[in-house]
Amino acid sequence: MSEKVRARVKELLDSGKIKGFLGLRKADGHIGPHLFSDAGDLDGLVLGDRERPGDTRYPLNKQLTTLARCYPQESFGVLVRGCDERGLKTLFTWNQLDPAKVVPVGIACPPELAEACECLKPYPDEFLEGERMDGRTFASVARVEALGLPRRLEHWLAEFAKCVKCYGCRDICPMCFCKECTLQQEDLIHTGDLPPENPIFHLTRAVHMAGRCIDCGLCNEACPADIPLRTLYKKVADIIAQEFDYRPGYAKPGEKPPLNILGEAPEH
Amino acid sequence: MTSKRIAVMRELLSFTGIEEDRLRVEWISAAEGPKFAQAITEFINQIKALGPSRLKVAA
Repeated sequence: MSEKVRARVKELLDSGKIKGFLGLRKADGHIGPHLFSDAGDLDGLVLGDRERPGDTRYPLNKQLTTLARCYPQESFGVLVRGCDERGLKTLFTWNQLDPAKVVPVGIACPPELAEACECLKPYPDEFLEGERMDGRTFASVARVEALGLPRRLEHWLAEFAKCVKCYGCRDICPMCFCKECTLQQEDLIHTGDLPPENPIFHLTRAVHMAGRCIDCGLCNEACPADIPLRTLYKKVADIIAQEFDYRPGYAKPGEKPPLNILGEAPEH
Repeated sequence: MTSKRIAVMRELLSFTGIEEDRLRVEWISAAEGPKFAQAITEFINQIKALGPSRLKVAA
């Protein structure tokens, strides 16, 4: 399954086009992120299918951002699914990564994963493994919208009450790169409570995900309390799409997120 | 910028089960005292009509 990717990585490393490739490596029965820098040592390279397709995913973009900051002159390759590519494009827009220094190597997601993620585009623009699958719709959002206002509030308050304020969602999010995080500002969100201010904590994060979240779902996976964060952020993405005709990661190069520009959003 | 954020916030509140009308934005200068007083009075009446928020009940 990963032969084509391995071959491409070898080619890129041999040619010197990239200093290293940020991908996934299987060692001792576990899969974890790994920076491959030796073209002769790619045996452990895997695509993150430990028991089920895509069950082992990591925010490789986030690690790439840190890496690029330490080695700004070097180019790196990175394994990308559809969502990761949306992440890259958005990080380029936010000037967190230099597109000239990033070489994505794409893989498409199988239908089970596309379904589980309710992904609108489960494949990057170019990919070596997998097949182009149909985009899905946000059924989880529709289910909440089918509830009346009181039932919605009941649902969300119950979910947010499970929060243990581990900041897992924020820490794993490839789009969260703020040096000072609103969620840790005492003046805005009272610290020292468990669960954190309900629903302020999560609504604040949701608002910050507007125009930023690329719907990778790592937040959901990271949450130890199984809070359906992704549904909330999908809704926020829908609002932005509806109001400003913009979805992070699908924009044309150079197109700015509507909440990044002062004044009215540009007409489309 | 604010109006863009408020637009997002209103829909998010509604999705979370909080009535949109509990959020209001007005542009009022410090020199427009009477306008401020009127806006606040109207807002208070609007909220009273909505009744107590289920937020406080749940918390």
